[in-house]
Amino acid sequence: MDSRKILIVDDNADIRLGMHLRLKANQYETFFAADALSGVAEAQKHRPDLIILDLGLPAGDGFTVMERLKQIPLLAVIPIIVVSARNGLGNQKRAHEAGAKAFLQKPVNDAELLAVIRQALGEPAGTKKPTPCDQGSV
Amino acid sequence: MKKKPLQVLVVEDNAGDVRLLREMFSGEKVGSFEITHLLRMSEAEVHLAKGGVDITLLDMGLPDGHGLDTVRRARAAAPNIPLIILTGLDDEALAAEAMTQGAQDYLIKGQIESRALPRALRHAIDRHRMQAETDLIRTHQMEFKDEFLSHVSHELRSPLTAVRQFVSILLDGLAGDLNPEQRQYLEIVLRNVKQLHSMINDLFEVSGVQAGKLKIELQCTSVTDAIAYTVNTLQGAAASKEIIMLPSEIDRKLPSIYADPARVRQILVILVDNAIKFTPKNGTVKIQTRIFEEDPAFLLLEVSDSGCGIDPDMTERIFERLFQASHAASADHNGLGLGLYICKDLVTRQGGKIWARSAPGQGSVFSLTFPICSLPKLLAPAFSEEVLTERPITLVLTEIGSQTGWLSNEVRAEQCRGIRELLHESLYSDLDILLPKMDSAGPAELFFILAITDGIGGEAICKRIRRQLDSSDRLRQAGLTHSTSYRSLETIKRNSTESKEEFLERVATDIQELMNVEISARQVSNG
Repeated sequence: MDSRKILIVDDNADIRLGMHLRLKANQYETFFAADALSGVAEAQKHRPDLIILDLGLPAGDGFTVMERLKQIPLLAVIPIIVVSARNGLGNQKRAHEAGAKAFLQKPVNDAELLAVIRQALGEPAGTKKPTPCDQGSV
Repeated sequence: MKKKPLQVLVVEDNAGDVRLLREMFSGEKVGSFEITHLLRMSEAEVHLAKGGVDITLLDMGLPDGHGLDTVRRARAAAPNIPLIILTGLDDEALAAEAMTQGAQDYLIKGQIESRALPRALRHAIDRHRMQAETDLIRTHQMEFKDEFLSHVSHELRSPLTAVRQFVSILLDGLAGDLNPEQRQYLEIVLRNVKQLHSMINDLFEVSGVQAGKLKIELQCTSVTDAIAYTVNTLQGAAASKEIIMLPSEIDRKLPSIYADPARVRQILVILVDNAIKFTPKNGTVKIQTRIFEEDPAFLLLEVSDSGCGIDPDMTERIFERLFQASHAASADHNGLGLGLYICKDLVTRQGGKIWARSAPGQGSVFSLTFPICSLPKLLAPAFSEEVLTERPITLVLTEIGSQTGWLSNEVRAEQCRGIRELLHESLYSDLDILLPKMDSAGPAELFFILAITDGIGGEAICKRIRRQLDSSDRLRQAGLTHSTSYRSLETIKRNSTESKEEFLERVATDIQELMNVEISARQVSNG
C-alpha cells in the first residue's frame, strides 16, 4: 500500500521540519504549508489523507482553513488534527465544533501525536512498527 | 461655558430639617445647586434609578426604611452615586457603620456649619470620582497583566515545541546512533524543557487565577482516585531521587468529597511535586487522609515530607503569589513560586482550607480540607414532612456516550459541560433533585435525577428529558449520544420508629448504592 499523505500547516519552519522527520520515520509522506491560504491550496493540490493544523497562522488562522475546507466537498472529509500553542478549553471546543478530530497542545508529545494520527486514519494501533518515542508526559 | 447645576437629592421626612438644609445653600451662586426633596425611601429608589442625580443626602430614619437598610437600598438603586448620611448625635456609631456600606461621609444634624455643606458635597463628589477612576485604572492594569501573561506563555510555547521535537528526534535515534554520553546530555535537555513547559503552564494558570477564571465543576469526587493518579504521575520523579512515596493505607470506605476531580488532582500534584523537590535523597513523602477532627463535615488530606522544612514564620507567606523561599539553594528548587498560590485559590474556591506546619530540618506537613459530599444533606429539602408519606419517587438515569463508543477522559468534562443545565430545565418541580455527578471513569458520563413528582410516571419524565436532549445542537455537534431510563423507588417510606435524620441517612445509602450499581455495571461491561 502507498504511504499515507499528511499535510502539515504551521508557520514555524522548525516545527514543520521536526514533524516531517518524525512522520517520515513512521512511513508517512508529508507536504507543507506555512499560512492559511496555501494551507487550502496545498490541500487541493495533494489531497492528503490527514491535515495537521496550527491555529495561529498568517493570512487567516486555523479556523479559516477549516471553514474553507468544509466548503469543498472533496476536502471536507479529510480528518484534521489541530496542534496549537493556544490554550485549552475555549479553543479546543471551537476546534471540535469546527470539525477537528483532535486538539493537541504544544509542545506536543510525539507518541501522542502518532497515536492520534493512527486513530484518525483508522489504522489499528499496531499496524506499523512505531519508532521509539519520547514517552515522557509534561 | 456655563456649568450645569449639581443635582442634589435630599431624602428626609422631617420638614424642619429640610428647611435648614435648603437655607444652607442660600449663600451659593444661583444655578450651582438644584435640590430635589423626597420623603420616602421608595420614592428615592425610583428617582435614583432614573439617573441624573449627582449626590444623595440620606436620612437613616424614614417612614418606609430604617438604618443601614436605607443605605443598602440607595446603593442598590444607584451604585455609582455618592451618598452622604444625615444623622442625629445619638446615631453617630450607626452612621460610621454606613460608611462601610459604601457611604462617602456622614453629617450630624445640628452640627453642620452652613457654609460647609456645599463644600462637603463638592468634596464627596470629587472623592467619589477619583475612587472610581482609580478602580478603573486598576481593573485595566489587571486585565492588561492577564492578557500579557497569557500572550507570553503562548509565545513561549512555540519555540519550546521545536526544542522538544528535535531533542526527542535525536534521542530516538532518527538522526543516527548516540553514544551514552550524548544520550545522557540530551536527556538533561529534555528534562529541563519539560520543567520550562510546566512553568509556562503555571504562568497561564495564574493569569486565570487572577481573573477568577479557573473553572470549577463540583461533583462527588473520589479522593482515593485522585491520590492514585498523583502517585502514578509522580512515581518517576520520586524514584529518581530514591524517595519513598507512601500513600499509606487509604481507607477505601472514605466518603467522597464535593469538589472538581480535575482540580483535586491538580492540587495534589502540585503539593506532592513540591514535597519531592524539597526532600533529599532517600527521604519519604506521605499522603494521608481522614475525616477532619475539628469538623466532621470535611475530609482532611495531608501531604508530609522529610525535607528541609519551612521557617514557622513563613508558613503563611508561602501561599502568596511569587513567593520563593530564600534558602532554596538546591538546583532542584526552581519554579515560579506560583504553585501554592494556585493551590490556595483552588482549595478555597471549593469550600476548603489549606495550611502548612513545619520547622526547619523537620519536614513539612501541608493540610487541606474539602467538604464531604453528603447525600442526606442534599436530599433533606425534598423530604420535608408532607412529602414523606405520599409521593412516588423515581430515580432517573441519563447516560451520555459518544458515537465512537468512548468519551475520552481528557475532554469528557468539556464535552459534557452544559448537560447539567439541560437536565435542570427538564425537571418538573422544585423538589426534583439533580444529584451530584459521580466521578466515574467509565465509557459514558452518568447523570442521576431523583424525581419526586406527584402523579407523573417515570416514563413521562424520561420522555421529557429525551426530548430536551434531542433538541440540543451542542450534543449533536459533539457527536454525543444519550439514553435515559428510570427505576421506581417504592421502598422509600419512613418507618414510624425512625427519626427524620435516620430516614434521610437510609434513603441516601439506598440511592448511593443504586448509583454505584449502575456505575460499576457500565465499568465492568466495557472492561
